[in-house]
Amino acid sequence: MIKFEHVGLRYGVGPEVLSDISFILEPGSFHFLSGPSGAGKTSLMNLMYLGRKPTRGLISMFEQNINDLERAKLARIRRRIGVVFQEFRLLPHLSSFDNVALSLRILGRPEREIRNNVNELLEWVGLGDYVHALPETLSGGQQQRVAIARAVIGRPKLLLADEPTGNLDDEIGLRLMNLFDQLHRMGTTIVIATHSQHMMEKFNHPRMILEAGSLRIEAPNNWVQQNIAEVF
Amino acid sequence: MPFFLPGDKKLGVSTGRRQYDLPLNKSAGAGFLVLLIALMTFLGVMALAGSFALSSLAYHWTSGLENKMTIEIPAERPNNSLRGQDDIKKLARQVETHLRAQNFIRDVKVLGQSDVMALLSPWLGEDTAAVTDMPLPGLVSVDFNTMNDELFAEMRADLEKIVPNIVLDRHESWLGDILKLTGALQFATLLISLMIAATTVIAIAGAVKSRIAIHLKDVELLHLMGASDRYISRQFQRHALILALQGASAGTLAGACVLGVIALVTGDTAQSLLPEFRLDMMHIFTLAALPALACLIAAMTAKITVLRELSLMP
Repeated sequence: MIKFEHVGLRYGVGPEVLSDISFILEPGSFHFLSGPSGAGKTSLMNLMYLGRKPTRGLISMFEQNINDLERAKLARIRRRIGVVFQEFRLLPHLSSFDNVALSLRILGRPEREIRNNVNELLEWVGLGDYVHALPETLSGGQQQRVAIARAVIGRPKLLLADEPTGNLDDEIGLRLMNLFDQLHRMGTTIVIATHSQHMMEKFNHPRMILEAGSLRIEAPNNWVQQNIAEVF
Repeated sequence: MPFFLPGDKKLGVSTGRRQYDLPLNKSAGAGFLVLLIALMTFLGVMALAGSFALSSLAYHWTSGLENKMTIEIPAERPNNSLRGQDDIKKLARQVETHLRAQNFIRDVKVLGQSDVMALLSPWLGEDTAAVTDMPLPGLVSVDFNTMNDELFAEMRADLEKIVPNIVLDRHESWLGDILKLTGALQFATLLISLMIAATTVIAIAGAVKSRIAIHLKDVELLHLMGASDRYISRQFQRHALILALQGASAGTLAGACVLGVIALVTGDTAQSLLPEFRLDMMHIFTLAALPALACLIAAMTAKITVLRELSLMP
């Protein structure tokens, strides 16, 4: 699904913010990405959603080397990725409905399908009464839910979320984590960048830990036993 | 009494109508661009109409003089003595008789003194008494069925036997100058039209670039969500198309009004030298196509500019 080989990233002539990052994320996996502030989580996410090209190393997504891909094919790969940005990045002049519908419109889905699916999902995330509300009138948590709905509505193969539950109360946060879990069960590969120890402990998934630009992957103590148990 | 009146804008609530993904229709400066396109289209209409008028002028002048010739029997003999009016009339009759016998001649007309005086009246005034003693040349107007250089040389040789210093004027020299002048003016209008088109392209490209800069974060978001370059450029194309349609329609309408006024003003006065300023259906269709051309230029410019800017994104 995602393969990083000795990937490095620097901004301009500054020092490398990511150095020699190598990992493989298998299809259908679920990882938390954590690390202290400034460790490079957002930069790594940026590389994963193809917002930037690495300064060195190779990145393969969906079995394709992105360094060699032409623009149209890169766009096709991006359409298979759902992203929840830390700062939401909702389009301020569009209603909740149109912000969520944007993903489907880019995918070229028919308006009828868009209308049904978007209304249903907004209802599900508790924004049924805010379908026509503009982002400026929504609270941080409500905006975050719109951003999550936008990321998941197209059933992406890969979901990248940067602090997706940071502004949400426990109940709605849990509900959205369950949504991610449900997507994961349906085969979506998920990477969630978070600081929340509580969430990482509650949802028992491997952790990608970034420290000073270097990455290591840790499986939680009971994860191996659980997965072996699932296999057998 | 209802809390909201029908005309009230509900703050923070979308209209429910499908919006642009990018808020291009709310961008500042759209009015300026419409005005600029209107002005450019107006100038385009004027330049094109000018070109049509010149073309019609050239046609008017050339079509009347094609296959025509004026023969002058000079008032002066080769030995510098003056011919009498009777002598000139006699020679003119001989020339007429000779020409009428040729099968390539359609018509021959000897111009009488009154005709010659009428031709001179713009310069000498209507007072013919003052010029009755002036030695005037004899003039013969000739219409050909057909003419070529060989035939013309043969005819000249025959006529020189009758009047040795006869002058044959096929109007080529001054007609050539006039055609050169109208050609140069038409070329100038073409250049002006190209400059208008280039200015429009530059203005639209600048406006599109500034809109991309204003909405860069939103454009980047669409790009990151997997929107193809065409998907993004289509939004700018549509926006440019709408502005161009508004501007070009207004410009063409204003141009049509001005042309109407010109036609009205010059209709009665332009009779002889200048043709009446009138556009035929072909010209009207061409002018009416200008808004479509402006829209095409706007859409293509927007597309190319956006694609170039997007190519800078990863």
